[in-house]
Amino acid sequence: MTPSVDLDFRPEVPALDANAALGRRHDRRVAVDDAAGLLAEMDRAGVERALVYAPHAAAFDSAEGNAGLLEAIGDESRLMPQFVCNPTFDDLDETAAQIEAADVRAVRMVPTLHHYPFRSWVVGEWLEWLSARGIPLWLPASYETNWHDGADLDPHAVHETVRQFPDLTVVLCEVHYVQASWAPPLLRSLSNLSIEVSRYVIADGIAQLLGIVGPGRVLYGSRFPEQAIAPQLYHLHRLGLNETDLRAVCGGNLARLLRM
Amino acid sequence: MDTPVIDFHSHAGSWGRYGVDADCDLYLKVMDAAGVDRTCINCIWFGDARRGNDLVMEYVRRAPDRFIGVAFATPHYPEEAVKELERAVHQLGMAYVKIYPDYFGRPNDDPAYFPIYEWVDEQEMAVMCHATYPFDPPGTTIQGRFTALSDRFPNMRWVMAHTAGTLDADAAETARVLPNVYMETCSSRTALGATEFNVERAGEDKVLYGSDMALMDARQQIAKVVTADISRRAKEKILGLNAIRLLRLDGPAKGGVA
Repeated sequence: MTPSVDLDFRPEVPALDANAALGRRHDRRVAVDDAAGLLAEMDRAGVERALVYAPHAAAFDSAEGNAGLLEAIGDESRLMPQFVCNPTFDDLDETAAQIEAADVRAVRMVPTLHHYPFRSWVVGEWLEWLSARGIPLWLPASYETNWHDGADLDPHAVHETVRQFPDLTVVLCEVHYVQASWAPPLLRSLSNLSIEVSRYVIADGIAQLLGIVGPGRVLYGSRFPEQAIAPQLYHLHRLGLNETDLRAVCGGNLARLLRM
Repeated sequence: MDTPVIDFHSHAGSWGRYGVDADCDLYLKVMDAAGVDRTCINCIWFGDARRGNDLVMEYVRRAPDRFIGVAFATPHYPEEAVKELERAVHQLGMAYVKIYPDYFGRPNDDPAYFPIYEWVDEQEMAVMCHATYPFDPPGTTIQGRFTALSDRFPNMRWVMAHTAGTLDADAAETARVLPNVYMETCSSRTALGATEFNVERAGEDKVLYGSDMALMDARQQIAKVVTADISRRAKEKILGLNAIRLLRLDGPAKGGVA
């Protein structure tokens, strides 16, 4: 007898979304592009807080996009800002000052979109600063837009670079099944690498990841507003995890990384 | 939930490139955890359709109350296609037909498929395939495509794989206006609001839950329906009742169900 589908699903543990975007995109109109809409969807899904970045900061101008993100968040404490940084374009000192002023707890780099190799001779100075400050770095495995082909992150570059900064926590995010061939061995080889699973949908794939890295390095994320908030949360509740592990994956790990 | 849950779309066979494992135990474990009662399973990965269909039957024989066999046919070997469908449906008891035009390089309305459709039309069965293809001629519309196919093969039913996981107005309108055309939900993107969009436009009777196992996890795919902002009755229909009606699982089956 199979267990019943739960049509009245609500998360059984505190849920924090480790991957959401806030703000308009230049290349299409997304269904929800403001804080009120995002908060309404979070309420419907039972998500308490979300780490959010600005699509404009990734696509065009990190400083302008990050400033717009803070404006969009306003006083809403349930939305936690994540700054996008482009080490080939932004000034580290200026960005560092903005990060500290806004108490930003996580940073995102998009080397595939910004056309640079993720090598220490490009990003080393930035990773050193992040490492010293205890600020984790999110790295999307790819970044798709209507005008960009969504090339894969170079896993060898990630491996060679991240291993040089053992005190830095890096979160590999938006890993699709097309990257499922290299993501698990990369996680196995780097103890300071975690994974956000909004796009990790391969059958029993998350259970396999948990088997490789344990519950402390797997983070729930939604990829909102491209994707809905609740489905991956429901999936995580159907993995048969004990409450401690479910709490870690659904939000505890993010809370720890962000020093909440 | 008291009504049956049927996964309309899954694949047998391994696909190492994406880490897809053909293990039947894995299937059953995921189905159990997802609350799926029965899964329709096909194999599209062999040039020899017979070999793929035989692999499907290994799953069906292992758990006949859990798997529903789905026949694959390929026009790469037109001399074998209908003969293999006869075997798959009438000897093995498979419930509908899956085609995969992406591997043929021509869309599903290419005349090379017509001998297969003529046979399916005679059996009054269903075919599942994608609705659009990378090699579609400019100006192709889903509604134009399926209207022409429905006119030519009036006794067939069509399931447009993946379309209910997207926000494609053309696909939804096609399912709304053509009584024999349905949508299916699986997609790796879990597009925000897709289930609500398609239920509103095509109707709750025209959407079927599918997972694309083992490429995608049934627990994650079913969640798109479970957590959607639609009525409980609509969820019950999408998760199983529509498939039962489409495949006539509650009455005399055309072609039979293993």
